[in-house]
Amino acid sequence: MGPRNRRTTGTATGPARPSRSSGSSPSSRSLRMSGPAPRSAARRRRLPLRLLLPTLLLAALMAMLMLRGYVHSEILADHRIRPEATTDEVPQKILDGGPVIDTRDGHETGLRVPDHRLVLTFDDGPDPTWTPKVLDVLERHHAHAVFFVTGTMTSRYPALVRRMVAEGHEVGLHTFNHPDLSYQSRSRIDWELSQNQLAITGAAGVRTSLFRPPYSSFADAMDDRSWPVTRYIGSRGYITVVNDTDSEDWQKPGAGEIVRRATPKGGKGAIVLMHDSGGDRHQTVEALDRFIPELQARGYRFDNLTEALGAPSALTPVTGPDLWQGKAWIFLVQASDDITGTLAICLAVVGGLVIARFALMLLLSGAHSRRVRRKDFRWGPPVTEPVSVLVPAYNEAKCIEATVRSLAASKHPVEIVVVDDGSADGTADIVEALNLPGVRVVRQRNAGKPAALNRGIAHASYDLIVMMDGDTVFEPSTVRELVQPFGDPGVGAVAGNAKVGNRDSLIGAWQHIEYVMGFNLDRRMYDVLRCMPTIPGAVGAFRRSALEEAGGMSHDTLAEDTDITMALHRAGWRVVYAENARAWTEAPESVQQLWSQRYRWSYGTMQAIWKHRGALLDRGPSGRFGRVGLPLVSLFMVVAPLLAPLIDVFLLYGVVFGPTRRTVLAWLGVLAIQAVCAAYAFRLDKERMTHLISLPLQQILYRQLMYVVLLQSWITALTGGRLRWQKLRRTGVVEAPGGPVRRERAAVVSGDGGGVDRAPDRSAVT
Amino acid sequence: MTVPDEKAEPAVTTRSGEEAEPGGLPQTLATDPTADRRPPPPGGRDRYLDLLRALALVRVVVYHLFGWGWLTILFPSMGVMFALAGSLMARSLNRPAPSVIRGRLRRLLPPLWVFAAVLVPLMLYAGWNPVSDPDLGGLTGLPKLLDYLVPVGAPPYPEHLGSDSGLLDPTWPTDAAGPLWYLRAYLWFVVASPVLLWAFRRVPWPTLLAPLALTAVVGTGLVTIPGETGEAIKDFAVYGSCWILGFAHHDGALRRVPRYIAVSSSALLMAVGLWWASGHRGPDGWDLNDIPLAQATWSFGVVVILLQYSPSWTELPGRLRRWDGPITLANNRAVTIYLWHNALITAAVPLLDQAYNLPFMQTDTATSFLDKTYPFWTFTLVWPLIALAILTFGWIEDLAANRSPRLWPNGRGGRGNRAS
Repeated sequence: MGPRNRRTTGTATGPARPSRSSGSSPSSRSLRMSGPAPRSAARRRRLPLRLLLPTLLLAALMAMLMLRGYVHSEILADHRIRPEATTDEVPQKILDGGPVIDTRDGHETGLRVPDHRLVLTFDDGPDPTWTPKVLDVLERHHAHAVFFVTGTMTSRYPALVRRMVAEGHEVGLHTFNHPDLSYQSRSRIDWELSQNQLAITGAAGVRTSLFRPPYSSFADAMDDRSWPVTRYIGSRGYITVVNDTDSEDWQKPGAGEIVRRATPKGGKGAIVLMHDSGGDRHQTVEALDRFIPELQARGYRFDNLTEALGAPSALTPVTGPDLWQGKAWIFLVQASDDITGTLAICLAVVGGLVIARFALMLLLSGAHSRRVRRKDFRWGPPVTEPVSVLVPAYNEAKCIEATVRSLAASKHPVEIVVVDDGSADGTADIVEALNLPGVRVVRQRNAGKPAALNRGIAHASYDLIVMMDGDTVFEPSTVRELVQPFGDPGVGAVAGNAKVGNRDSLIGAWQHIEYVMGFNLDRRMYDVLRCMPTIPGAVGAFRRSALEEAGGMSHDTLAEDTDITMALHRAGWRVVYAENARAWTEAPESVQQLWSQRYRWSYGTMQAIWKHRGALLDRGPSGRFGRVGLPLVSLFMVVAPLLAPLIDVFLLYGVVFGPTRRTVLAWLGVLAIQAVCAAYAFRLDKERMTHLISLPLQQILYRQLMYVVLLQSWITALTGGRLRWQKLRRTGVVEAPGGPVRRERAAVVSGDGGGVDRAPDRSAVT
Repeated sequence: MTVPDEKAEPAVTTRSGEEAEPGGLPQTLATDPTADRRPPPPGGRDRYLDLLRALALVRVVVYHLFGWGWLTILFPSMGVMFALAGSLMARSLNRPAPSVIRGRLRRLLPPLWVFAAVLVPLMLYAGWNPVSDPDLGGLTGLPKLLDYLVPVGAPPYPEHLGSDSGLLDPTWPTDAAGPLWYLRAYLWFVVASPVLLWAFRRVPWPTLLAPLALTAVVGTGLVTIPGETGEAIKDFAVYGSCWILGFAHHDGALRRVPRYIAVSSSALLMAVGLWWASGHRGPDGWDLNDIPLAQATWSFGVVVILLQYSPSWTELPGRLRRWDGPITLANNRAVTIYLWHNALITAAVPLLDQAYNLPFMQTDTATSFLDKTYPFWTFTLVWPLIALAILTFGWIEDLAANRSPRLWPNGRGGRGNRAS
């Protein structure tokens, strides 16, 4: 290879062929890679902030769901009912007395309604369907009644309570969420009353002094368990109202029977128990429509309680802070209901998207796989011309030897150009010491990966250029497989198949699954759709002419690989996937490393999409990419993942507040779909299925990490924050293709820059 | 609760000459498959395991004090303690099995005898008549009292003693002697270990999983074995896999399983355990102690994960270092703490009740404040009581281990140094 074997030593002072990337804008300049920066205290201090916003958001969401669960009786619900107890301690005059039990100020009296007066009472409402009908009937017959409303229902349907009060009915407390009070502590009873009162105040601007205990019936049904509660509630200033006749309308015995049960005997007055909520109440409405005129004809009057007793109204208007507190409560509940409803719709949309995406992926990757497996399939005439392989390296002392040796073993004629980007660990010296034929070393002052690549392009002798990372290991056939698509003159660049070498750790196995799915489903799909968003930095090949047309590598974004790929699309080149060009790479082994890497990718992708947004309005191939590729990529990689946390939030909500079983089953269903897709991807790549065992755990630990990263990228993007990152800590465990993985651990200098190893398009988030 | 001697293990090997076990130390190193990878630190203590043991002990005390069932999910102490003990047992079994078993029992029993010497007379004094106790079965049941000497079965005790108005809650014998089942389980594990280890080294997987399978039979109501025998078999089954995991950890077998497989499959097993628990909740809800199969699977999974990541610390890292003293103490006095803690919790109540008599406690507010914060004060009081028990009875552990007695062995200088 003559002169090309010559090693270029010494520090070059400037790019021989300057990068033609457009000048950096001021905003992106701040993102430029600078020299290695030590882990600074400033970086540490920023750490909480990047967690703060997502955490706040999540906390707000959870609080809202809690509130919703609370007013929908899914939290604190207590469905126990006390069996009847003895009545020794209940005063006889209460057992024999009337249904209006006044135990305020040490009294113990039971009042009765005068003859020919009927007080209709409705429990458990308001109900959005039946309460308006009941109110209509009452209005039609000019009757008043008492509604004992629960706090939960009042909070959810405040307008109905407002209407009750406006139409002359009285409202009373029926507790916040309807527990049997004899089981509850005093503080819980106080809470039930005050929270119920708060809701009524918020809805109608009044306070009430009437109370009816849940599961109550007649005065003579008071027993030793319920009487102390009644007395206590009296001491809080409430009148307890039970009833004389029970329509038992909840049993739906038919309207006639309801009327019969409700009617008092011999013209006596009565308090009648009915329900306007808790199920289908059309019989109640029907019965009312007969009952009221019938009894009015017999001389009865239908009043609310205090009218019937000739007492001052039980409702007193509320003003000042109490009123605002109530209004705030109602507002919060309404807001949480509305937002939860909206979120549920979003969730359905996300779910639909996810499933549609999976279906599309299976369909298109199947089509791709069938196409490339056909016997007569070929890209064009076999490509045998020599290839320049560029290896940008920054502090890769651990890995560079394996990398270069794997290239030297290539079955395709190659020229290897290692561009040392100002390494401090003697990376370049190691390569030189190898003394391999066909290997050149170019040194430059630390200037970042795009500059290193541009310099490499300038030094490359051939028209086909393969780019890889300094920590990646090729198989002997990788280069040959990677360049075959160039037999098609329309192909401008080729993405290879990056594989995770260190896949035995948990985090490695998760990334392995992610990579296999990303390369075998997503990339095949993008290939068919002709909108491949990224050629991985770890393994990709370019036509020199295409690179030149696109202006070389650029510093504009953090993801120069995505940037250049999009630029190629816009220039009308095809970008395809070569599934047999396998490159073995080392995935981050710590959460911190993984975080930095993914943060860079997702933020870089956003930058690249933004940079190429103009394609949306272009004509020709650029316009096609702008109108098909960009929206698809944005949807799947940037927008949909943002809504993905909803899945987990609702999962948690469903598991905690029910329906637990259905929630878990739904989750397992989605998991099964994922598993099927993953298994298909593994089969396409002829991988062993064992790693799929870590899929369930990936879904509940890894995915969340990915979308927090994405959320943080969004925040950075929206606030224009600066971004730095740590270089992946190399441990040098990746060896020959699929080779044994050494178990050594070695800390390596870490710093900024270099080593952008790019892998799956697939974002783990969906 | 790795009862006796784990912490003293190296002492045994280094002093093997004195104990007439020729070649103890070299043999240990030579046959320890982990020796080449991580030479045992000076003093031989893996501080990570020490930390787990201390955590397990604290968790047990807190659980017995507050009765929070979810603590059994948060940290399955029993499984962890049996696993740690199993690991040390595997290490000791480089020596002839009979002497190892003898050594273990010699270290376990004296502290129990002292505990029994306090508890049994107290129960008799309080009116327990073992001859007429129907639970014991009259005269024929009397030999069960021997379990206080060698706990082949859980030592017997009356369910109730005294009255509600007495100084102590009438269930105090249950509180005091209830935790003794652990010693019975430990004893049987020690006795079975030579066979278990032999089986494990020949057919690892079936041996490891057999106790789980047995739990599925005897711990689910499928087959019910009555009486103390049934309890013993159930406990053996529930924690057997954890004990054998200790073997696996010691032999390095656990580390040979790729981490993703180990962690993922334990997570699946734990999920199965939770699912089982959700459908078989006991009187205390999610308390796994009442749900054998869930306890077995959950403990197994947690132990796999804890031991898989086992970092082998020669000293506690960073912020944990300030806990070095308490952790060392807890490890040196594990038996004492375990034996006495529940009795002390019971004893804390009448002591704390004295607070109601204090002159400034005579208002309603003060009383209700004390009512509401009662568990917290018990929790505060029980640690000094445990410290007292360590001072009073702890040295017996040293005697049992053939060592000069130490008062407060927290590893900080003097005679209490853990290097001993």
